[in-house]
Amino acid sequence: MTKPSEFPPPFRVADYVTTPSDPEDERIEVGVLVVGAGPAGLACAIRLGQLLEEAPEVRDRLGEVPVAVLEKGKAAGSHLLSGAVVNPRALRRLFKGRKRIDEMPFFGPVAHESVYMLTEKRALRLPTPPTMKNDGNYVASLSQLGRWLAEQAEAGGSMLLPETAAEKLLVDGGRVRGVRTGDKGRGRNGEELGNFEPGADITARVTVLAEGTQGHLTGVALERFGLHGDNPQVWALGVKEVWRVAKPLDRVIHTMGWPLRPQAKYREFGGSFIYPMGDDMVTLGMVVGLDYRDADLSVHDLLQELKTHPLVRRILDGGERLAWGAKTIPEGGFVSLPRRLHAPGLLICGDGAGMVNVPALKGIHYAIESGSLAAETAFAALRRGETPWRPGALAAYDDAVRRSFIWSDLQEVRNMRQAFGRGFWLGGALAGMVTASRGRFPPGNTRTERDAEQELLRSDRARSYPPPDGKLTFDKLSSVFASGNRTRDDQPSHILIRRDVPRDLAELWERMCPAQVYEATDGGVTVTPSNCVQCGAITAKGGRLTPSEGGSGPEYTLT
Amino acid sequence: MSTLVFLEHHGNELLKGSLGVLSKAATLGDDDVSGVVIGSGVRALADEAGKFGAARVYVADDARLESPLPQPRVDVVAQLVRDAGVATILFANSVLAADIAAALAARLEAGLNWDLTDAAREDGKLVGKRPALQDSVYVDVGWTSEPRIALFRTGSFDPVASGGTAEVEDVRVELEDFSSTARMVEQAHEESEGPSIEDADVVVAGGRGLGGPENFPLVEELAKALGGAVGATRAVVDAGWYPYPTQVGQTGKTVSPKLYIACGISGAIQHKVGMQASGVIVAINKDPNAPIFEFADLGVVGDVHQVVPKLTELVNRRRGS
Repeated sequence: MTKPSEFPPPFRVADYVTTPSDPEDERIEVGVLVVGAGPAGLACAIRLGQLLEEAPEVRDRLGEVPVAVLEKGKAAGSHLLSGAVVNPRALRRLFKGRKRIDEMPFFGPVAHESVYMLTEKRALRLPTPPTMKNDGNYVASLSQLGRWLAEQAEAGGSMLLPETAAEKLLVDGGRVRGVRTGDKGRGRNGEELGNFEPGADITARVTVLAEGTQGHLTGVALERFGLHGDNPQVWALGVKEVWRVAKPLDRVIHTMGWPLRPQAKYREFGGSFIYPMGDDMVTLGMVVGLDYRDADLSVHDLLQELKTHPLVRRILDGGERLAWGAKTIPEGGFVSLPRRLHAPGLLICGDGAGMVNVPALKGIHYAIESGSLAAETAFAALRRGETPWRPGALAAYDDAVRRSFIWSDLQEVRNMRQAFGRGFWLGGALAGMVTASRGRFPPGNTRTERDAEQELLRSDRARSYPPPDGKLTFDKLSSVFASGNRTRDDQPSHILIRRDVPRDLAELWERMCPAQVYEATDGGVTVTPSNCVQCGAITAKGGRLTPSEGGSGPEYTLT
Repeated sequence: MSTLVFLEHHGNELLKGSLGVLSKAATLGDDDVSGVVIGSGVRALADEAGKFGAARVYVADDARLESPLPQPRVDVVAQLVRDAGVATILFANSVLAADIAAALAARLEAGLNWDLTDAAREDGKLVGKRPALQDSVYVDVGWTSEPRIALFRTGSFDPVASGGTAEVEDVRVELEDFSSTARMVEQAHEESEGPSIEDADVVVAGGRGLGGPENFPLVEELAKALGGAVGATRAVVDAGWYPYPTQVGQTGKTVSPKLYIACGISGAIQHKVGMQASGVIVAINKDPNAPIFEFADLGVVGDVHQVVPKLTELVNRRRGS
C-alpha cells in the first residue's frame, strides 16, 4: 500500500528564501515585523507596545512603524479557530494592571465538566483525567479573542496589515531581514490580471514568526536554519461547528471512543468537544490525529456522525448551525519542539513552534506567553549597544521559554501523544503512567513518525457516514459556505501536490479534506483551491500548503 | 426631496439595471425623480428613461464624454448635485458605476451605501437594505447627511415601464483639468451571441451533470431556442469546460432572470446564492436527492442528455422554426 511520503510535493525551500529585491527606497521598513495576527503574534505586538511606551528612545530609533503585524486573512481573526477553553494565565500576565479578565471577550468560566466514553448508542461518564481539568479556565471564540487582541495591539501603537500574505523569507548574509509579501491579482496560470499588484519587501530589525499551525515561513525557516528537533512534528485535524441552540448547555463536554475505532491498526486518536458559548450558542468539534491510516476517514463526516449520537443530538435539538471551520493542531508536543526557537534576526512562537499540550487540549496560553517572551527578547536586543541579528543575540528567548511554564508543562506530558500510536487501550494505559510519573516514565523521548509515513489502508468506513439532511448533518460544500469562504476562483493554486498519484492516496486526500478541495479521478486528483479553508492537513499528509492571495480563505467570526 | 439616478448605457441602449433602479426610485414617493444620461450622441436615450418613471432627464452630451471613463462623469454628476439640489443619487452596480459612486462620495464628502438589494422610505427617511454575513441576514442602513449615495447590487430590481414622458434638460459640461488626463486606450468586447447573462430574461445553465464540455452545445441550443444566455457552475468553469464570465454563483455572477433552467446542476449553496432571485427555476437532474430540487419551482428527474434536446425541439417547434 501507498505511503503519502512516497509522493512528495513539488516544493523547494529555496524558492521561498530570497534577498531583498525592491530598490532601497521602495522597501517598507518597520522595527519589529510580526507575521500572523493570532494570539502569539498579537501578544508579541501588545507586549512590544507596552515596553516601547516606557522607552521612547528605543521606539524613536525604530522609525515610523515600530511594530507591524501581517495577517493573510481578511481581518484579524478571519483565520483563527480553536475549541476553545482558555487558560487565562498568560493573558493575566500580559495585561497585568491594564485589563481584567472580565473585560476580555470570554463566554464565562467553565462551571462544570464531563468526560464521556461513547459507543454508537450510549455514553459512559468517566472521571475527568487530571490533565483535562478546567477549573479556572474560560470558554472563548478564538476568532473573537483575536479581534479583541488586535484592537489592543493597534491601541498600543502597532500597525496591522491584513490581507497580506508573507510569502518569502528575506535572508541576507545569514540574517533574516524580513519577508516578501505575496503578489495579488494573478490569474490561474500566474498571468498578471488588470488589478495586478506585486508583493513588497518588508524589512525589519527583528522578524517574529507567529504563523500558527503549519506556518508557511516557519516551515521554511526551520529548514533553512536547521532548527528541526529530534522528532518530526505531527498534527491532528479539528473540524468544528457553532450552533445556536434552544436551551443553554451548563458544562463543557469531552468525548472519547465512537465514532473513532479503537483497533491499533487504524491509529485513530482523537475525540470531540462540546462547549457552551453563553446561553444560546454551543460549539462542537471533532479532532483526529493525522497519523491515521484509513483512506476512507473524513473528520468532517465523523463530526456529522457524532451529531447523530443521542447525547449530542439532545444538545442541538431545535438549534441551527451558524458557523463551521477546520484547522490542524500540532500534536508532537515536547519531543517535536524545534531545537532552537531563534535564528539571526528571527524568533518563532506559538503553534508554529508546536507549543501545544495535547492531554490538556491547550495551546493558546502558550502562544500568548511565547509571544510576550519574544517581545521581551526583541526589545532587549533593540536597546542601544545591541545588535539583534548578531548570532546568539536572540538566544535569550530560548532561555526564557525554557524557564517558563510552557517548558515544564510540555515536559510533564511528553510521550503522551506518541503512546496512542499503539491504539486506544494500550495508549490509554501508557498515558496514565506518563501522568502518574509527571513525564519521567517512559524515560527518553519516544520516536515519532511523520504523519505522511503511515502506510494507507482501506476499509468501507465511509459507507456509514450519515447522508446530509441540511439541518443536523451537512455536506462539505455547505460547510465551506458556512466558513465565510468566498475566495476568488481565478487565482493560481496555492496547494502543491503531485497530481499523478495512485487511487488510494487521491481518495485519502478527497476524504481527508473537510472543504472538498480534492477529487480523486481516473488519472490522479483534481484540485479546487478556492474551496480551501487553509487547515493545513495536506501538508501533514504528503502535500504542501503555501499562502494564497492575501484576503483569501475563510472569514471566521465565531469559531 | 429630489432623487437622481445614473443611467448607464451600452451602445444605444440604457442598461436594464439602471432602468430597474429608476423604476424603484419612482416608487419611493419623492416629488422629483430624475435621471442623468452621460455620453456622446446620447440624446435619444432620454425619452426611453421617461417610460420608466423619470420626471426629468438630464442629458450631458459631449464628444469628450464618448469613452466610458469615470472622472468626467463624476464632474457632471457633482455639478448637477450642486446646481439642481439633488438629495439622493442612486446607481445600479457596474464597474463604471462603482467607480463613479466612490469618486463622487469622495468629491462631495457624501455617505455611500453599497451592495444594497432594496430601499424603502420609513418614517420619511430613506433606508437601504444590505445583505451581510454571506447574505444570511439583511441589515438596514441609512445616511446621516446629504447628499446620500447608494449603489444597488446587480439585478436588484426589474425595470417597470409606467408609460410616462420625461422633460429633457441639457446640462452644460464643464470638466476639471485632472478629469481629462485619463485616456481610453482600447475597448475590448468579449464576443458572445445573444444577451449578456446578467441582462437576459432566460438563463440556461449547465453543470457537471452534463458529463463533459462536448455536451455544452445541448445547453447552448436550448438557450438559443429560448432567446436566453448560457450560464455555468463553478465546477464546470474550474474544469475548463466553459469560460469564467459565465460563472453563476457566490464567486461569479448574480443573476435574476425570469426563467432559470439548471441542467445537471446539483445546487450547492454557492451556486444557489447567485441565482435564487430568479423568477421561475427549473431543474433537470438525474439525482432525485440533489439539493436543487429543494428550491426549484419545477423539477425534472431525468438524464439531461435526453431531456434537454427534447425540450429544445419542443420549444423550436412551438416557435415555428
